[in-house]
Amino acid sequence: MTTSDLLRICAHDAENPTDSSLREAFSSLHARLKPPFPLTIPSPSEYSQLNQALIYGVLTEPHLAKVHLTHLHAFVTDGYNLFTTTLINLSNESYPKLLQTPRSQLLWISSKLIQVAAVKVETLIISLLRQIRGGDFSEPNLWLCSMLISILVDSWDWLLEEPLAIQCSLFVFLRLLSDHYRLVGRVDLDKLKRMEIEFCIRVLRKNFALCLGIGRDLIRLLQDLVFVPEFKDVWSDLLFYPEKFGVPDFMDISRLYRTRTPSHFFFLTITPEMETQLRFLLTHVKWGNQKRYQAWFAKKHFCTPESETVIVDIVRFICSAHHPSNKIIQSNVISRWAIIGWLLNCCRKNYLLANVKLALFYDWLFFDEKMDNIMNIEPAMLLMVNSMNQYVDITRTLLEFLFLLVDNYDVQRRELILKGVSASFSLLVKKGVVHSLDSLISCDLLSPALREKLASLISSPKLSSIKRLLETCGQQIEVSSTKKCRVEFGR
Amino acid sequence: MPMVSLKDIVPAATNTINTQFILLDKGNVGQDGMETTCLSLAADETASVHFQLWGDECRAFEPGDIIRLTSGIFSYHKNCLVLRAGRKGKAEKVGEFGMLFVETPNMSEIKWARDPTNPRKFVQEAVLSSHSKIFPPLPY
Repeated sequence: MTTSDLLRICAHDAENPTDSSLREAFSSLHARLKPPFPLTIPSPSEYSQLNQALIYGVLTEPHLAKVHLTHLHAFVTDGYNLFTTTLINLSNESYPKLLQTPRSQLLWISSKLIQVAAVKVETLIISLLRQIRGGDFSEPNLWLCSMLISILVDSWDWLLEEPLAIQCSLFVFLRLLSDHYRLVGRVDLDKLKRMEIEFCIRVLRKNFALCLGIGRDLIRLLQDLVFVPEFKDVWSDLLFYPEKFGVPDFMDISRLYRTRTPSHFFFLTITPEMETQLRFLLTHVKWGNQKRYQAWFAKKHFCTPESETVIVDIVRFICSAHHPSNKIIQSNVISRWAIIGWLLNCCRKNYLLANVKLALFYDWLFFDEKMDNIMNIEPAMLLMVNSMNQYVDITRTLLEFLFLLVDNYDVQRRELILKGVSASFSLLVKKGVVHSLDSLISCDLLSPALREKLASLISSPKLSSIKRLLETCGQQIEVSSTKKCRVEFGR
Repeated sequence: MPMVSLKDIVPAATNTINTQFILLDKGNVGQDGMETTCLSLAADETASVHFQLWGDECRAFEPGDIIRLTSGIFSYHKNCLVLRAGRKGKAEKVGEFGMLFVETPNMSEIKWARDPTNPRKFVQEAVLSSHSKIFPPLPY
């Protein structure tokens, strides 16, 4: 067994290639890492070795880190590109395995790289933001939150020049606040909460034009903070005084509703490891084989009751950021709707279940064929239709929830939402995701009132004209994704 | 030594198996003389097999771990046909989760007989069970 000052390596762990290459570079150049530093210009391979050696030095020798940093400043010729890129890869691949000293050092060196405006330092900060786990109140996770929010607050001037970093930071910390605010009686969290609140409010007030780029999920995140006193004014202005944000473009909250959240935001709230595992599941695992993977995933990522809040983030990721190719949709690989059915079943708290269902239907509410992607709304439709035979309770609760949203989500803008939901059903039928909605409307296991609501919703002129057109053409729309597989939602 | 698929392993008294698999399930940790042992179910894309964990391997490996076995041995141990690292072999965790597997055939649930043309070799005689009898598949 090899020991490492960088990573936590357990008995029987295979050697980590990144760890060993950094360590080897460090040991081979160890004697040259002390001043006086040579004035000769290193060859490309020496340059790369020196970068690696200094990374290992900075991360594992806190007492010499400043010397290593001076050394780095002295010879760097690529705007710190290689140094930063190596740190990004290390963070993405190995952050959970990093020992505490290298973790502290990684945060320290990141703040130093901001000061010199290193190439790609914004990507490094974003990759560290991704290492924060939603629903995790453990000491190391809260420590990472505190460190990153402090760096962001201290680097405000830099942040103003980095639109992506500012949007991503706001997205992540709004999400985390909903966790942290729910945790009452933790005095040690007060300082962190205060910093998070001040940061988010500051970004919203001073850079609202940038915030608009986040799109509708900004509202979904703010909604969980409606009871936080500091956000009351923000909410009041969003709803009644939009002009107060000083963005001429923003005259009504519907401007945000109508903007689809770009998919890269949904990577932020799940860790790279979760992303890899979910993508593997949804790209390679065949129907009938998913059970063990689901059990492993749940054991690893939902091990405490609080950690289940990350299910909301996972559902948004699956709907809006993981869009399988047609080849996979037509193959025997497990479908997104089935994984979402399993995730719904993993939720043990009602408020969480409501948030997961909202995450599932969120793009339905404001759907516009011109702006939105049918893949974002497909999983909910297929989950409802494919659950009818064996799990009609799922179909019923989802449909009821959808109508609840139509009637109550934003009463002032009910028409907009009604239009969005109706457009969703219409496009899903038009594109052949489902044959028709007849099976839902005629399903005896659903209450007559519910079926009537559905029928009246889809009898809007647009949808009936499509139906008529199809009938006259006598066309048979092929079912593309509805699988005749048995669905199992158990754990 | 080249890597082999689990479907191609044959009982032998030599430490010659290099392979990679994912651990699906673990049994209870028991005692074998001085050493702790634990039987597990391992599989790759071609077959599954009973993998015997020894000593600190019992605690080091969990279901979902991807393990690389170097110089392993597939042989009878107390009447059970198991794959294990043995004294000369090495089992290392190389990853987690991202590997496909099948649970049938299970190479430990096959009855092997001496090859009539070469008594030093084993050939498959009969399938005792399509899946592991110790670790049955999860209900569908």
